[in-house]
Amino acid sequence: MTITEKPVTEGPLELESGREAIAERPLGVLTRPQGGRGWRDWLSTVDHKKIGIMYGVSAMVFFVVGGVEALLIRLQLAVPNGGVLSADVYNQVFTMHGVTMVFLFIMPLAAAFANYLIPLQIGARDVAFPRLNALSYWIWLSGAIFLNSSWIVGGGGADCGWFCYSPNSGLTFSPSHGVDFYAIGLLIAGIASLVSAINLIVTCLNMRAPGMDLFRMPVLTWMLLITQFLLLFALPVITVALFLLMFDRLFDASFFNPDMGGDPLLWQHLFWIFGHPEVYIIILPAFGVVSEVIPTFSRKPIFGYTFMVFSGIAIGFMGWGVWAHHMFVSGIGPISVAAFSLSTMFIAVPTGVKVLNWMATMWGGQIRFTTAMLFAVGTVAMFTIGGLSGVTHAIAPADTQQTDTYYIVAHFHYVIFGGGVLGLIGGLYFWWPKIFGYMLNERRGKINFWLMLIGFNLTFGPMHILGLQGMSRRIDTYSAGFGFEFWNLVATVGSFIIALSVAALFHNVWKSKREAADLPPPGPDPWDARSIEWMIPSPVPEHNFDEVPTVDGLDEWWHRKYGFDDDGKVVQIATAEEAAQDGSAEGVHLPAPSFWPLVLAVGLPLIGYGLIFNLWLCVPGGLLVGMGIFAWALEPVDDPDAPHDHHDDDDHDDDGDGTHDSDDSVGDGPDELALAAAAPATPGDKQGGARS
Amino acid sequence: MSDPVRSLISRAARAAVFSRSGSLRSRAARAAVFSRSGSLRSRAARAAGFSRRPLGLVLGLVLVLAGCAQDAELDTFQDRSETARQINDLMYPVLIVAGVVLALVCGAILWLAVKNRVPADKDYEGEFPTQVSHNNRLEIGWTIGPAVIMTVIAVATLITHVAVNSTEANAIEVQVDGQTETWEPRVVVVGQQWWWEYRYYLTRDITTEDLGKLGEDADWELPRADIVTAGQMVIPTGQEVELIITSRDVIHSHWIPALNGKKDAVPGLYTPWKLEADEPGVYFGQCTEFCGLSHSRMRMQAVAVTPGDFQDWIDAQMDEATMPTDEDTAEYRGMEVFTNYCASCHLVTGLNDGDYNGAETYSGSAPDLTHFAGRTTFAGGLFNLYNPDGSLNDDDLAAWIRNPNDVKENYADDLPEGSLPRGMPDMGLSERQISDVIALLATLGPRPTEAQILATEVE
Repeated sequence: MTITEKPVTEGPLELESGREAIAERPLGVLTRPQGGRGWRDWLSTVDHKKIGIMYGVSAMVFFVVGGVEALLIRLQLAVPNGGVLSADVYNQVFTMHGVTMVFLFIMPLAAAFANYLIPLQIGARDVAFPRLNALSYWIWLSGAIFLNSSWIVGGGGADCGWFCYSPNSGLTFSPSHGVDFYAIGLLIAGIASLVSAINLIVTCLNMRAPGMDLFRMPVLTWMLLITQFLLLFALPVITVALFLLMFDRLFDASFFNPDMGGDPLLWQHLFWIFGHPEVYIIILPAFGVVSEVIPTFSRKPIFGYTFMVFSGIAIGFMGWGVWAHHMFVSGIGPISVAAFSLSTMFIAVPTGVKVLNWMATMWGGQIRFTTAMLFAVGTVAMFTIGGLSGVTHAIAPADTQQTDTYYIVAHFHYVIFGGGVLGLIGGLYFWWPKIFGYMLNERRGKINFWLMLIGFNLTFGPMHILGLQGMSRRIDTYSAGFGFEFWNLVATVGSFIIALSVAALFHNVWKSKREAADLPPPGPDPWDARSIEWMIPSPVPEHNFDEVPTVDGLDEWWHRKYGFDDDGKVVQIATAEEAAQDGSAEGVHLPAPSFWPLVLAVGLPLIGYGLIFNLWLCVPGGLLVGMGIFAWALEPVDDPDAPHDHHDDDDHDDDGDGTHDSDDSVGDGPDELALAAAAPATPGDKQGGARS
Repeated sequence: MSDPVRSLISRAARAAVFSRSGSLRSRAARAAVFSRSGSLRSRAARAAGFSRRPLGLVLGLVLVLAGCAQDAELDTFQDRSETARQINDLMYPVLIVAGVVLALVCGAILWLAVKNRVPADKDYEGEFPTQVSHNNRLEIGWTIGPAVIMTVIAVATLITHVAVNSTEANAIEVQVDGQTETWEPRVVVVGQQWWWEYRYYLTRDITTEDLGKLGEDADWELPRADIVTAGQMVIPTGQEVELIITSRDVIHSHWIPALNGKKDAVPGLYTPWKLEADEPGVYFGQCTEFCGLSHSRMRMQAVAVTPGDFQDWIDAQMDEATMPTDEDTAEYRGMEVFTNYCASCHLVTGLNDGDYNGAETYSGSAPDLTHFAGRTTFAGGLFNLYNPDGSLNDDDLAAWIRNPNDVKENYADDLPEGSLPRGMPDMGLSERQISDVIALLATLGPRPTEAQILATEVE
């Protein structure tokens, strides 16, 4: 059955208990902001779409920051004995390049997709805990700004490498505040990822539309769900490590200081137990994007959905058993090395399954090489190179020659840039019309793609050769005569081509927006796509779905447009415009905005500055955090002055089946009265049988 | 590990790996020794060797790419030892397999792109493609297929892993101060910011356990060695030399690519590793674990000499330095400069060993200069001590002594109170004092051979 919204009701909300739920002003002052327009709206929003956009925009800002750092590195290394940066500044720049690109660019860009698309792909009104979602973003942003503020107030960036091995990260060897900012900044940003992971896991498990079984979720949502589980388990490990590092530096704790009986290898184990799953945290979202884009533009369903999902799950599990391959030469024993060598080799198997399944999806398809498709296919090819070079260092004896050389730099850029970044940028082209309501120009998009692909290969391809020729990583300069000159120059040229391609992306966004006024709107489904986010208008209305769809199977939206005739041939049964919702639902109750997540998040960096410079600063920071938490808990569910246009939402379990389903109302704490996704439903409809 | 097993494994490894033509390689390697054109010649020999093998083309391409440089002293493919060869014998076939897989994947993508492409300006024609959703048999097949390939690679990897991690007992007899000693070739390698120290214990058997016990001392002292040198490790050819690698401050990584892979130097750990060289030569290395400010300028060489030359080297190293006695010479004035400015950190046996108690640096160490002139590099392997014509490279040496931080950045000057220098401080010497101390340094130890001086050149 199709669930319809009930008509708007006036007057106060009625609870099952019969008590009226009139929003009050706790403590006489607390209220909820009304949202509205302009900056107040963005600062107080709890809308997963706006939060997703903010994640994306911030990520792109840090992409530029990390990119400038990358260009400085390449300028320094363009010729032997380069003099662009001093050794000290170079060490800070390469450290901050890595930290920025991993924690401040690609993770939040993936978070942007997760926030924006998971609720849309599973047919939900919002995430499970909207205010927590806002909190994640603001905490992440405050951590990111805190981390980068060390350039200004900390005497420079961290200079220990993103991996920050002890004892080089200790106070003796890195006396500036850079490493303090690294540790505390990443601790703060880690809270954001952890909160977000819990939020999105609950969203995926509890808020799916009727009929949206786990194995009807699009592959992207699946990969993002696996990513959230990886975050959930990996972040506590790095949090422990960073906490110990912070205590070592600020309070002489000596966890990693060998002079005091500490163990430097302990840091390495902790870091890589987090650090290797982190690789999959980065790459799985891109795999998900590719798994949406390739079927759409091949006009075929994803080949082997079940294998795709389970190979993702397998990668998620196996990713925990390979961390010590980062430590083959660290002095761990030969048996350990052998074990981790083997486990690393076999993680190639599920990854290989994915590559072959993508190709099988294209097999026999009708392939439209839009920009998004070019990026997706480019991702498959470039990631394959990264995966294969990964096999060459899984063989531990060879890794003793390769590790800590540019061969590794080449490898992980092929994985993270070639796989992750290309995939996610492809995702931007794909979902741009859905998010912003206008298309990115295809011709300029293709220029963007080819510039990026060529620049990327010119930059990182030669690094394979440089590494095998013996060029060490993290060196601020090299001497002439070792044969490093030519390929370094090529790599530097390539890096500027990448910079050009990123400029082309920004130019495309700006120019396409200007041209959009003269073009017809893209409509709900410009690509003839397959999943249900394409059945609602572009840009997505604030309430997402006019009515929550009932899902009958995988590729629900495609099956609403196409059917099969008696011969099994595909026939169109409805155009996208006919089948789509028009976004006209009114009075859909949504969670009220709140400023408290922002207030809470602002307090954390203050505590950070306090730990580094003057403990008294922790007091206002702690007060802000405490105030944020209490006010959050106490603020009313809704603006007391706003007209009440609730439906007869009730408490948790709308359909009385004893479980919390996607069609139950959702929310966090007091919000739970809001955000009603559904009208009464009969038990059983959530199994999503045949559409009646 | 027993010899039969070893030979079995090495045979298996070689068979698994399109066995390479040994005679060609060793001839090329011999020619390469001490010859600047050697690397070119060996590449040619190698290319000839490969073309006989299946898929030599792929490999040839890799090598052409890798060999674009005229000289590549750190090239991992220019293996000059059994261990380095074993590693490459594993690496080459895996590279080939990877290359084939890549070619297949990219080829298939291109083929699909050409065959199934619908141009942007054309509408879809005809019917929808068949909506194939899965094929379990196929998918199980391409799950098992890669798993089988990986299993084969895993077996080869384990065989090589055991081989490169095994050590052999190969004690040799050396003369030390006229006494014959049975010496299991073993060098203790100590990293510190930003140079390497090599310690030889010829007259006593030092094990990892001995070092480990001493390592618990906070001052990083190691047992007194018979020979201590810096920046250059001298080893006899044809002998497997066991290394015990450790560090006095942060983590470093010791890497001589032509002879073996790398191994980290971790403070508090005494990690075993090994090196051997087929032929005499100077083999370059570079610290490969990020170790702070001058990580890129922390370099080293392994100097392999024939067993006879090795004995001569030991004899020279056991000699104390002879101090000048004529007060009117630059060397004598240099000795005074050394005593006033350098002796608190640097040891010259025969001059200040009487009251030397370690260096006033963070690591508690500074290069032993007793046989300074017998080495061909200085400043942590960064600069050549001699010009190609055999004259002393006093320009770089003077610049180094004038202000070390200018030519190799360090943390030795303007330190906050209570911290010790890491690196050599600017001693504020006058030009006269600098030239005097250089005159002294030039007398310390026998000059290296012309061949060694030339082999140290990288350009």
